[in-house]
Amino acid sequence: MNYDVAIIGGGIVGCAILNKLTRKNLKVVLIEKGNDVAVGASKANSSIIHAGFDCKPNTLKAKFNVRGNELTFKLAKELSVPIKQCGALVVGNDLNMVNELFNRGKANGVKGLHILNREQLLTKVPKLNENITCGLFAETSGITSAYLLTIALAEEAVINGAEVKFNTKIKKCVKNDFGYNLIADNLNINAKYVINSAGASYNEVAKILGTEQHEIEFRRGEYFLLDSNIEPLTNLTIFPLPSKFSKGVLITPTVHGQTIVGPTSYESDNTTITTVDGLNEIKEKAVNIIKDIPFNKNIRNFSGVRTICGDDFIVEKSTKKQNIINLAGICSPGLTAAPAIAEYVAENLLGFNNADKKMKKRVPYTCLHDLNEAERNKLIKRNPDYGKIICKCECVSLGEIKEALNSPLKPNSVDAIKRRVRAGMGRCQGGFCLTKVIKTISENLNISEDEVVKENKGSNFYVSNINPKK
Amino acid sequence: MNKNLMYDVVVIGGGPAGMAAAIESYNQGAKTLLIERNEKLGGILNQCIHNGFGLQYFNEELTGPEYALRFVELLSKTKVDVLLNTFVIDINGLNVTIINEKGQTVVQAKAIVLAMGCREKTPAGIMLTGSRPVGVYTAGQVQKMVNIHGKLPGKNCVILGSGDIGLIMARRLTYEGAKVLEVLEIMPESGGLKRNIVQCLNDNNIPLKLKHTVTRVVGNTRIEGVYVAEVDGFTPKLETEKFVKCDCLILSVGLIPEVDLVKNLKLNPKTGGADVNEFRETNISGIFSCGNVLHVHDLVDNVTYESKLAGTNAAKYALGKLTHKKPFNVVAGNGIRYVSPSFGYMSEKEDLMIYFRLSSRITKSYICVKCGENEIYSKFVLAANAGEMQKIQIEKSKINGDLTVLVRGQ
Repeated sequence: MNYDVAIIGGGIVGCAILNKLTRKNLKVVLIEKGNDVAVGASKANSSIIHAGFDCKPNTLKAKFNVRGNELTFKLAKELSVPIKQCGALVVGNDLNMVNELFNRGKANGVKGLHILNREQLLTKVPKLNENITCGLFAETSGITSAYLLTIALAEEAVINGAEVKFNTKIKKCVKNDFGYNLIADNLNINAKYVINSAGASYNEVAKILGTEQHEIEFRRGEYFLLDSNIEPLTNLTIFPLPSKFSKGVLITPTVHGQTIVGPTSYESDNTTITTVDGLNEIKEKAVNIIKDIPFNKNIRNFSGVRTICGDDFIVEKSTKKQNIINLAGICSPGLTAAPAIAEYVAENLLGFNNADKKMKKRVPYTCLHDLNEAERNKLIKRNPDYGKIICKCECVSLGEIKEALNSPLKPNSVDAIKRRVRAGMGRCQGGFCLTKVIKTISENLNISEDEVVKENKGSNFYVSNINPKK
Repeated sequence: MNKNLMYDVVVIGGGPAGMAAAIESYNQGAKTLLIERNEKLGGILNQCIHNGFGLQYFNEELTGPEYALRFVELLSKTKVDVLLNTFVIDINGLNVTIINEKGQTVVQAKAIVLAMGCREKTPAGIMLTGSRPVGVYTAGQVQKMVNIHGKLPGKNCVILGSGDIGLIMARRLTYEGAKVLEVLEIMPESGGLKRNIVQCLNDNNIPLKLKHTVTRVVGNTRIEGVYVAEVDGFTPKLETEKFVKCDCLILSVGLIPEVDLVKNLKLNPKTGGADVNEFRETNISGIFSCGNVLHVHDLVDNVTYESKLAGTNAAKYALGKLTHKKPFNVVAGNGIRYVSPSFGYMSEKEDLMIYFRLSSRITKSYICVKCGENEIYSKFVLAANAGEMQKIQIEKSKINGDLTVLVRGQ
């Protein structure tokens, strides 16, 4: 099979490029070693759409962040992905630093920045710690769901002709007359252009492609996810004044009504563990922003790994191999920057300057939780499966799960379903619905329950039957 | 409002609590609706296929499904309306919003009985650290996998927490050919029933390690093992940490009353359930609560007694027969972790039924109830564990003021 472009790595960056190149009317394939898109850093982060005041001026980070902010809000609305321009505060007691951030933001072209005193801050967040005296308010900052945005970008691309290959690990890349011949255990294709957006696996892929290696540092960020039933702490994102390594431990609502507190920033290898020290550090630091955070309403600890290459993103044409694009070190604000990176790669690096084609619209997942009574009744009358609740915490019906199983990327794992329709995302963390979701997947995909996986290959829930036939 | 959707009493949850409450409500002459989210009645009892149920209430030893069936049969002789496969998604005052295959609608009640049971504490609830691979489950999840779905989630299991479901599952998994390597308990004593420790662990040579916990989970795709350490208080002694290879970690670390559906419910911080009066009525007039949504029980028999009380009184309330006069408090004194209910009424003639738990294990002590300076009840106890719920019944004629339940020596 021949393609114009092959993208290796299905995180937010890879999927944004997949989407953009599909809009450019190219034949594109996304190759992902995992069993779904957004299974690396794109599923475990703060899901903040940054304004862009934090990046050093004249960097790729600054440029793509500010442009990406604008593009992301537009894209998310087009794709019906939940997004909210709730704004963000950076708070502390060092007015000089606040001024510096303000000026940096101005230099980056960020609009809607305001320096606030304590009284003004309190009108936005009444629960702020008493030690906080000043802060920066960024109007254009917002929140979304990083994995839902990634999924939606890929889905829209697939509906419009792109292809996605899961569980596929490229093993060999050979230059040929067409461009490159890419070979995996389950794949043999040709592509004129290859894009390495493998994130944490960048160097592994670069080695196979024969392109530049980059020194990568992994920094792990751990989080708390607090229950939606707590008394709201804040309706916008609050950062402390930033440190050299990260934007610090933030507190933010999620688009689904829960609260995220984190992340830490630890030098690490590429593993997403959580640690006692890390979680305690979050508790200690977060109280500097808001004192009484109900950590006893924690429903999930998770962690993600940032991939860092020096001070800036690497978005470049390989000089070693023609027609290969290297994307490395896309750490924060990578989620925000992704659509801008995609635009730059498509138009500037690859030179596809033609206008975007009109895309067939993606059908958003039904969300019973968000419907009113009349809409629910209409839906249930049409299909009674929407009246069968499977996940009690997030009010997810059988109909929604079946819909997700038939969605464009054909997800088949429990976690993929969880990301799409939120079954198991609530306070009981699947205590009630896990076995029902496993059963639903098995029945609808016509596979045995033993074959159903949590996330990637090998993560089967069941090891054997009770009373196996002798 | 559709007349069919108006009831004297709506009972939410068709487990042992809800069934007992619905039957008693009906017996009082109230038009009663029982709502159950699953396709059949019985609740968690349906997955508790071990025996030991009903020794107090039926004076015989039944399995969970058998115990449930007794009430399903009793219920079938009543005119209680039962809605299966139906979820309650909101309770607003005495209006109950339900959703099922027919659609969403509101049921109007004169009284509501909450009988939704409890949920299990998750890994996040104990801040379990390490990786998050497949193979980490709560004990109830594993019970469902094994007993309802006929599937084994692992062959070499470690159980964290010696709550009753964990102990029961240790035995069950052993019977099904899995090896239970050890049961870890962070406390100096098990919270499980003595009989379960003997029958489930000792009889199967499964070690119970007190003052031990899991410090982290290892494994990317599948769990490969856990690090286990001794604790000093709740702090792991890292020098004692050792790796235990396993393919399944099962948590039995506590149960939380599932109260989230009801807004503005006043909770008892000790139980996580509602704060109730002797009728098992919550701070919201007309809303009653019983079973594990009120406080987590260890014996279903006690759930039944408590729920009959809640069902009876909910019906009386709906029919305008309940009086709330001359209130008195019931307080947890020395050695008592909590009491339920936390207040009663001298105007009520029926005996006062108090459920409570001890703060810690006692030996050769008296459990007493004081009314002012007078000791109106006392019972000698040779030995009792904190894990075992206690129950006492007090004649109303003896009560003329606030009560304190306490433990004293000779």
